[in-house]
Amino acid sequence: MKQSLGISADLPSFAIYLAVVVVVFGTLLLVVELRQRSARSTIAVAVSGVVAMLFCLVALLRPVSIRSHGSLVGPKIVVLLDRSRSMLLPASGNTRDQQADIALAALQRSSEGTRLSLLGFGEGVPVPMEKLALTPPTYGQSDLKQALDHVLHTAEEMPKAVVVIGDGRAYGIEANRASWMQSDAVGKTRVPLHTVLVTDREPRDLSLRNVRVASAAVAHQPLQLQIEVGCVGLTCDDAPITVRELLEGAPPILLASRVAHIQNGGANLTVSVTLDRAGPRLLEVATVASNEDEVPENNRRIFTVDVARERIRVLHVAGRPTYDVRALRMWLKSNASVDVIAFFILRSNQDNVMVADADKELALIQFPVNELFTEHLSSFDAVILQDFNAIPYGLSKYLNNLTSYVESGGGLVMVGGPEAFLGGGYDGTPLEKVLPVDLDGANSPAAFDLVDLVPRATAAGRVAPMLGALRSLFGDDLPSMPGANIVGAPKPGALVLWEHPSRHIADGRPMPLLTLGEAGDGRAVAIAVDGVHRLGFSEAAAQVAGRGHGALWDGLLGWLMRDPRFEPAQIDLIAPCLANEPTTLRVVPLPGMVGPISIDILPTDTSKAPAHYNQPLSGTGEHMEVPIGPLPSGGYIAKVRVGSTSTTRRVFACETGGDEWADSRPDEATMRALAQANNGTFHLASDAASIPLPPSTFVHTERSVSPILPPWVWTLGAASFLGLHWVLRRRGGLALPRRVEPSGKGVQQAYSIRCPSMCTDKPTGSSDSKRKYHPQRAHTSAVIANPRPRPRGSRSRATSDRKVRSPKRGKAAGGTPGPSSATVK
Amino acid sequence: MTSIKSMRVLWPLLLIVGWVVLSSSTARAFGEEGAFHPRILLTGHARWEGPRKSGPGRWSWELARRTSAPAKLVPGTIRADASALLAEPFVIWTGEDNVEPLTPGEITGLQKFLRTGGVLFVDDGAPETGRFLQSAKRELAHVLPEAVVLPLPENHVIFHSFYLLERAVGRVEGPKTLDVMSYGNSANVLFSSYDLLGALSREPGGAATFPVVPKGEWQRERATRLAVNLAMYVLCSTYKDDQVHAPALMRRRTTNP
Repeated sequence: MKQSLGISADLPSFAIYLAVVVVVFGTLLLVVELRQRSARSTIAVAVSGVVAMLFCLVALLRPVSIRSHGSLVGPKIVVLLDRSRSMLLPASGNTRDQQADIALAALQRSSEGTRLSLLGFGEGVPVPMEKLALTPPTYGQSDLKQALDHVLHTAEEMPKAVVVIGDGRAYGIEANRASWMQSDAVGKTRVPLHTVLVTDREPRDLSLRNVRVASAAVAHQPLQLQIEVGCVGLTCDDAPITVRELLEGAPPILLASRVAHIQNGGANLTVSVTLDRAGPRLLEVATVASNEDEVPENNRRIFTVDVARERIRVLHVAGRPTYDVRALRMWLKSNASVDVIAFFILRSNQDNVMVADADKELALIQFPVNELFTEHLSSFDAVILQDFNAIPYGLSKYLNNLTSYVESGGGLVMVGGPEAFLGGGYDGTPLEKVLPVDLDGANSPAAFDLVDLVPRATAAGRVAPMLGALRSLFGDDLPSMPGANIVGAPKPGALVLWEHPSRHIADGRPMPLLTLGEAGDGRAVAIAVDGVHRLGFSEAAAQVAGRGHGALWDGLLGWLMRDPRFEPAQIDLIAPCLANEPTTLRVVPLPGMVGPISIDILPTDTSKAPAHYNQPLSGTGEHMEVPIGPLPSGGYIAKVRVGSTSTTRRVFACETGGDEWADSRPDEATMRALAQANNGTFHLASDAASIPLPPSTFVHTERSVSPILPPWVWTLGAASFLGLHWVLRRRGGLALPRRVEPSGKGVQQAYSIRCPSMCTDKPTGSSDSKRKYHPQRAHTSAVIANPRPRPRGSRSRATSDRKVRSPKRGKAAGGTPGPSSATVK
Repeated sequence: MTSIKSMRVLWPLLLIVGWVVLSSSTARAFGEEGAFHPRILLTGHARWEGPRKSGPGRWSWELARRTSAPAKLVPGTIRADASALLAEPFVIWTGEDNVEPLTPGEITGLQKFLRTGGVLFVDDGAPETGRFLQSAKRELAHVLPEAVVLPLPENHVIFHSFYLLERAVGRVEGPKTLDVMSYGNSANVLFSSYDLLGALSREPGGAATFPVVPKGEWQRERATRLAVNLAMYVLCSTYKDDQVHAPALMRRRTTNP
């Protein structure tokens, strides 16, 4: 309990000050008066006067006694602990996170009596450490700005100080340090901000500190990569840098190889690469790690680049001109998003053109098979072989190239006719490997079936999004087609959309007519009929204004190019993948999709084993989260199949450290600047115990106010002492007015009044200013200093200003009548 | 006995030969769905008969002989108001005299045909009078009222879709170029005042039915080449106008006076 005195709270402050000033002034006047006039019992007069004034003052102030109960509350200190992955980097024999624990323990020991609030920060709002204590630091960034903003603008109690424990590598600072420091959350915290750097030691490290895509990624156009290389504690002169594209089921493609010339611990270089395939692509930038490198993980960065395409570049090769070729060409040329390069075989060696000079009379050029299927092949997004025989036109020796092209991400469409599939000699060739159907010629001596047919949509074909537009025009009533190419069974994983209504393959299943399949990183379509032009020009097609043909090809080409409109599901990662940490895929199937979800996780490094997951599907179109992993560092392709639909895929990278480990140097400058800007102090982990913390605060819990004495006591006392003072003044002769002598010479003059019993009748007239007090006399002389001589004729100031009461004329009590007080001498 | 033994040996051979024959004919059957088919368009009370009846077949034969394009060697006829008009994208309208006004059904049929992308070749069998061509243009104005008839540019793809041609010719020399009535970006209706079918027609023995004036057989060859080019235009559209071919074509144009 605490006890104290106070004054009544109803008095304004100015009144208190005024009262005190009056009392002090009055006391001074009393002292002056007592010093200037001789009086009997001066001490008593003085004391009574002072006490009376004090009593008046106290009566005015009415002091009270304040009793309060409370407790001493320690200051709230918020400790922000960095929980990003950079805290796992090495530091003085252990990790930075372990150093942070040491600093935190020291702080806790030295902060007895304080209320420490421990929060872990990284991404998003900081989280109480109780929830993070058992997990290692895993955040992908250190968003200190957001953490401070949350702590200092919360509705909870404002902390008295903030302590940040970390390695200084804050998110967002690398872009613009000055702007970051000037932000309100960081540079103007309004409370002291102390920083603790867990380590000032920079690990020995050659690293790829930053890899930035400097320009928009467009297929077939140069893409600039800006690479920052850093070297600390190692001998680095020239660091080799390679850029590769990682593929599924195929070796990586080397895009660029450079040498970084490191000076003063760093180097910056710009590397130009060209990506031929649109969509998400996996790129790897790597340098060589030495044995002394303490953080070899940041010598390799893997990331995805979304490559756009201005226009789809299609190579259309036809073995002979037909109405089917005409229809496809007219659709390709009418499509503003397609650049078509076409080569039709208009003349075979057996044809007789009836010319003397072919060069001058024919508008024909040599089919540039070598150019097209070597140097220019990778420039195409898709290749369409329509009724094209590989053998007579020299394509056979380039089928390996074409196969590699598809496996590296290209698209292939084989359209039927007498010279396609078996008729084109493709069975047993490398190209058969990437087609979605087998070409097993042993089952049939013929390459085609002549029976007119209406293609029948399979269960998958009835729901496939790439046939959605065609279904809306024709439903299940497709036009009749004159025969089909003989093909074999669909490959494992292939999707059959149309089947033959009456012909079967060896295992009894209907023969596929329209089949889609994945091949490595690419896709392929097999159309085993040559009558799809009837979807555009026929009696049936006329009912829908000929739009059926375009609807089919729009869907097929779009699927080939991985247009999201034609994917059965969308896949995404909930959070960036960290190597050796669980990862979660979000799968959003198209509404209406039914059946189980089958997920394959395929590493680009074929030495690693793929993983497979299954999950049931509700069919409501709501997203599903599928936990996968943990996965080691590398590039991956997630292929998802919903029910019996085609496969959709997502590429992603798993890195051990990611951006957090890219630059392994602790940032001491940032920590010092933070502390300095916010009235705090900078410390190392070993010195955390010396952080100056604010003192505790006494918090009142119960308070009672009671007057020391009732106000009437003070008032009575004031009146009593005032009366006593007056009596003492009178007894001491201080109550009589002063007698004024008209000497005009500086002679003290005295005023005498009738003072029957206590005054003497002794005229003064002397320089002795003190008039002795004689209690027997009635006169009380008031001696004052003589005023300055006045000019003749002027009235006496003493006369005019005098306010001395004139004694009444007549006998004084017990004595002769005194002179008139008005008498001026 | 000998004949029976011979038959036992011959039967398998006959079967094999028959299979080969059938296979080859089968090969030609599959894929003919998209083959060039010069159908003759019939309107009103017109009938397809007369000395030019072999012209379309000869057109297909020349195309198949000289190029890799398949063609139906026995072309048929099709009425303008028949739904089957929309089965294939090419048809020939020919005659020698004024045509009857088109019926509403014929107009509708032709409109659907042309607006779906079909190509109509109007060949005047009597260019000396020109009555057929004039009446055909009059009637086609009802089919495509928004289209106008313009001369085909000399650098149009028809003149280099297979052969390099300086001009159009038929049984008669006529004007240098064809007239065209376009719908959209395509030349959908081509007007020939050359009697191209007349240049192509043959007697049953193979001899030409009509003399070609003024330049005789050289001109007949040029007429045949025009027919081949027209077929290639129908089958390949503007393929030969593609940028990849343009440089080569330009070089040949400049070297070929």
